[in-house]
Amino acid sequence: MVHKEGEHPVVAESLVRRFGKITAVAGIDLRIGAGEIFGFLGPNGAGKSTTVRMLTTLLVPSEGRAEVAGHDVVTEAAAVRRAIGVALQDAAIDPLMTGRELIKLQATLHGIARSQWKSKSDELLELVGLAAAADRRVGTYSGGMKRRLDLALALVHAPQVLFLDEPTTGLDPNSRQAIWDEVRALNDAGTTVFLTTQYMEEADRLAGRIAIIDDGAIVAEGTPAVLKSQVGDPTLQVTLREGQDVVEAERVLLEFGEPVEVPAGYCAVRLKGGAGGVTGVVRALDEAGLGFDGFELHNPTLDDVFHRATGRRLEGTEPAEPEPEEVEASR
Amino acid sequence: MSMVASHYLALSRRSIVNTIRQPISIVPALTFPLMFLALNSAALAESINLPGFPRVDSFLQFMVATTIMQGALFGSIAAGADMARDIEGGFFDRLIATPVARTAILVGRVAGAFTLSFAQAWIFFGAATIFGLEVEGGLLGMFGVALIAGSLGAGFGSVSMSFALKTGSSEAVQGSFPALFIFLFLSSAFFPRELMTGWFQDVATMNPLSHLIESARHLVIGGWDTGEWLTGLGIAAIIFALGILVSGRALAGRLAESA
Repeated sequence: MVHKEGEHPVVAESLVRRFGKITAVAGIDLRIGAGEIFGFLGPNGAGKSTTVRMLTTLLVPSEGRAEVAGHDVVTEAAAVRRAIGVALQDAAIDPLMTGRELIKLQATLHGIARSQWKSKSDELLELVGLAAAADRRVGTYSGGMKRRLDLALALVHAPQVLFLDEPTTGLDPNSRQAIWDEVRALNDAGTTVFLTTQYMEEADRLAGRIAIIDDGAIVAEGTPAVLKSQVGDPTLQVTLREGQDVVEAERVLLEFGEPVEVPAGYCAVRLKGGAGGVTGVVRALDEAGLGFDGFELHNPTLDDVFHRATGRRLEGTEPAEPEPEEVEASR
Repeated sequence: MSMVASHYLALSRRSIVNTIRQPISIVPALTFPLMFLALNSAALAESINLPGFPRVDSFLQFMVATTIMQGALFGSIAAGADMARDIEGGFFDRLIATPVARTAILVGRVAGAFTLSFAQAWIFFGAATIFGLEVEGGLLGMFGVALIAGSLGAGFGSVSMSFALKTGSSEAVQGSFPALFIFLFLSSAFFPRELMTGWFQDVATMNPLSHLIESARHLVIGGWDTGEWLTGLGIAAIIFALGILVSGRALAGRLAESA
């Protein structure tokens, strides 16, 4: 797939979605370049799925506008649908049909000629490693197999933009790795990927650029490396030998940067000037006669980026995103 | 084939295949009417000798058209329940995220409901034939009754789908089952209108289902009659048109949230 320079297959401007009095998405701006894997990272309830539903024409924005593949998501919804592939959360696949039948159905709905879908389905089933299970009913598939089929279904019409809403949630590490490999391969072939995830590692490893969303608003955006570098220096955590003077150790570490709060028995410092300061710390502790059993150097993570932007940690925050139906029912 | 026609065909096929692959879901629609047929044919066998009762060979012959329409009514719930399951499971969203012709979402299920009721009619005829049923209208009469049943199933299937589209809940759809029972019991399904009295006769006369069943029954007990057949089919067509109207509105309501 050849992309024109400066092409932006996904653009959102001041996108808002309200459900009654609840604002699920509070005015987000996005500009995603052709051929990117864009990671949309945030905890449950942050507004990720609502954003995806607006961009994939499943939900009308309350305010703002968005264009996908050059078409307005409201006024040119049909054109958007022809250009996108969508794999929503909880692979919604008819358990009574076989993988091959579902690919055929999806191909028909996208207007792909009967003469083409046969070879296309073989090719896709091969791509996602489901050739052997193609004629089994989906109800007999594992969670990972369903996700892979979901991905294949989203690719039937060679979409310009692929939306993956939490594609690996609930999967075991092997299945997750398989999905990641497939997403990378698709992106290498030129597909623009919009990926939502609540897993930092997924965003970090797959996405070229990330937006972190919290409470319906984007709180940070950039490449993972830049975002992490904005958090600052790495943290050095020292495990003191039993009976050592913790106060004295903390005083020594202060010379190398800001103190960081850690559990008793440890002391830590945010190293000014990066990892190069480790040798200085070791020497200073030695000169002060302070023994230690070990130390760990932590580079900033996307969780630190999230923490810096919101004051909370990304993983373990579990307020559920109000699903449209639930919210509507409570109105 | 046009793209819209191919969507109709693909979703109709899916609906029919789904029904075939979960036969357990249609067991109630087959067994309850058959049970009623067996019980009533035994218990009310002598009632055919009552003055004013239509001339029939047996109560079985009188009752079989009711059994077929009862099967169509019960089977129509499946169309709504399947639609609700598509909504609950997210398949509905998957569909509307594609360029699918929106009407195909309804047409697919309607075709499924028609096919189910049409096929059930032949199963009921087959079962009743084993117990001595003779259809005066012959094969053409049976085909005519099956067509009325198919249209009735499609009509009530559409109504059932409107519940599904409004509520998105298969439980709510199943909850409409008693209403169908009442509709059927307040008709001449189980006894001739001529032998009813008072308000019950009035209600049964106003109930369109009475006239539909009587038309179908005529094809079984009286022989082929194009006028009767068209009456039955016409009533089924009106129910179908109303069903499509309400389910179409419900679909539009659900799609209004999407672009």
